[in-house]
Amino acid sequence: MELIQALVNGLLIGGVYAVISIGLTLVFGVMSIINFAQAEFLMLGMFIAFFCWQYLGLDPMIGALVAFVVVFALGMLVERGLIERVIGAPDVAQIFLTVGLLIVLENAALLAFGSDYRSVRVPYQTQAVQFAGLIIGVPYLLAFVVSLVAGVLLWAFMRFTWLGQAMRATAQDSAAALSLGMDVRRIRQIAFGLGVAMTALGGAVILPYFTASPTVGAQFVVLMFTAVVLGGLGNVLGAVIGGLAVGVIQTLSTLVLPIQLQNLVLFIVFILVLALRPEGLLRQK
Amino acid sequence: MKSDRKPVPGASVDTTRRGLVAAAGVATVAAGFPAIVRAQPKSVNVGVIQPLSGANAQFGINSRNGIELVADEINAAGGIAGLGGAKINLIVADGTSTPTTAANVAQRMISQNQVVAILGAFASSLSIAISEVTERRGIPLLTMSFADQLTERGFKNVFRVVSKASTIGRAQFDDALAIAKAAGETVTKAAIMYEDTAYGTSQAKGLRDAAQKAGVELVMDDAYPLGITDVTPLITKLRNSGAQMVFPVSYLNDSLLIIRTMRQQQIDIPAIGGAAGYVIPDFVKGLGEFSNDVLSVSPANYDRVPELTDRFRERFGYFMVHEALEHAVCMGVLAEAMDISKSADPAKVRETFYQERFDKGWSTAMTGAVKFDETGQNTLAKPVMVQWQDGELRTVWPKELAMAPARWKGKPISI
Repeated sequence: MELIQALVNGLLIGGVYAVISIGLTLVFGVMSIINFAQAEFLMLGMFIAFFCWQYLGLDPMIGALVAFVVVFALGMLVERGLIERVIGAPDVAQIFLTVGLLIVLENAALLAFGSDYRSVRVPYQTQAVQFAGLIIGVPYLLAFVVSLVAGVLLWAFMRFTWLGQAMRATAQDSAAALSLGMDVRRIRQIAFGLGVAMTALGGAVILPYFTASPTVGAQFVVLMFTAVVLGGLGNVLGAVIGGLAVGVIQTLSTLVLPIQLQNLVLFIVFILVLALRPEGLLRQK
Repeated sequence: MKSDRKPVPGASVDTTRRGLVAAAGVATVAAGFPAIVRAQPKSVNVGVIQPLSGANAQFGINSRNGIELVADEINAAGGIAGLGGAKINLIVADGTSTPTTAANVAQRMISQNQVVAILGAFASSLSIAISEVTERRGIPLLTMSFADQLTERGFKNVFRVVSKASTIGRAQFDDALAIAKAAGETVTKAAIMYEDTAYGTSQAKGLRDAAQKAGVELVMDDAYPLGITDVTPLITKLRNSGAQMVFPVSYLNDSLLIIRTMRQQQIDIPAIGGAAGYVIPDFVKGLGEFSNDVLSVSPANYDRVPELTDRFRERFGYFMVHEALEHAVCMGVLAEAMDISKSADPAKVRETFYQERFDKGWSTAMTGAVKFDETGQNTLAKPVMVQWQDGELRTVWPKELAMAPARWKGKPISI
């Protein structure tokens, strides 16, 4: 019973890790850029949803949509203004740019919002559903469901729309995509916007159980990279599996080890995967 | 700034004996150096070092607010009578959240500003760093930092107005046990969970010792990483442990997570926090009615002296959090010491700290008075147990200090 409970908890929190990680892997897949500033967009998503709650009375699940739209637009601007310039540039230039963006965003948030922790208050925060002896916290469940819906929609978009297919084509071979008449520049811009918007949405939906602060990104950045690398960089389905795996490993490890060590177990698994399957769990050689 | 910075001639402010003596003194000096006295009544520089940026910024700002309130009130009421109406001039500096910077700031402040004393600096690590400098330079440091060692190094210039960490940790456990007993519940099993930082671990040690002494079994004793994203495993463990009360020691984010998750899992055992995240306005902002009945230990609480602390609420818009209150007491004690000794000389003020009992104005805000022993520890300080009741923090224990009856599992305890 305890095992199933831990498994369920792990999946619920892992679903959110998944949607956060999808954004990172999407950006890498389409643009071949590792966006170190990705977690800052999670922070932005949290703050947008927080202010939607504070000033408009919107539930964070609805605020998540606002966060998605706003960060999508912001992401498009950032891509056109900054990221585009380093596509195909040496790795060092890309790292400097995205790490610089991380520092700027974090400190701008500190300046604008102050260093306070902010928390929303919604009625379901302290509710849980009981099901076959399991206790499932409503905020975790909601965050999971919204993440799931967002993930499925993204999958359908990539699969069935022309734009989504063009995005995948660009990811596979941008030169070929260009020669076939696709507007690769525009596609990259949309992909980046979509990537950071997914992460922002993930940030917004956890607001009922996590406090927002300008430095919150740091708490997720490592988990996010772990999930993405576990699943194979650039692989969207891999990020989902990776995210779920991170959540489950974290909670299952607490059954046998002190909770203090939950990330230790995670990183041991991570190192093992890197050593034995450097291409990620999913990717075929 | 509400302070009145207009010069007030010191010799004519009051008619107490002290005032007359001061007046005589000023008159004597005035005879010799008329130009100086007519120019401006002298002011006293008081150093304030607080973490105004970095991780502890919020607490540093609260602390500064408390000190400013008292200084402005004293200045508006005519300055320090014993010094001929001299005004308090606060020299406020950002100690950041790094000990080495705090020490450098103290060094600079003493060399450049001739401060009579330094007030600061919330975090124990900062206060310890500053105390090394103030000890060397013979400047009194008034503090409300908890760490035991502050007053245990044989320093002659450190004065702490609150109880030390080990006393607070013991009170957290013993008071909770006493409240349970008053409610008719015999506690044999308890749980503690704490963030794995210096603060969390040291307070957990105090709890563990107290539990052992009281013969209460700790059925759960878990540290967790700071910035934990999901406390469900912890709370599940708590539920299965059969504990009758739980002592969480954490900052705000974790405290909200812990209380919310407990409510989700319908765990109704009393939670007794270890100050920090449990006694700040954000706690009730984040939890609303679910904050009700949560207990916490605190080195002092605002509801004991509403006539003083309401002035803080009026000016800053939130209740007088404990660090603001205790720093206000530091300022009050310093003003009183200067008034009594009629001196702004650090050495004389220090001697006054050791000799006198301070029981006027803001010095009364904690337990009515302040008296330092030979280590610089306030012997009259006593930690209190506070409880969230309808959005306010009420002092509920010990009995002689209680302002409202404690509630245990939703029912008020009649004492």
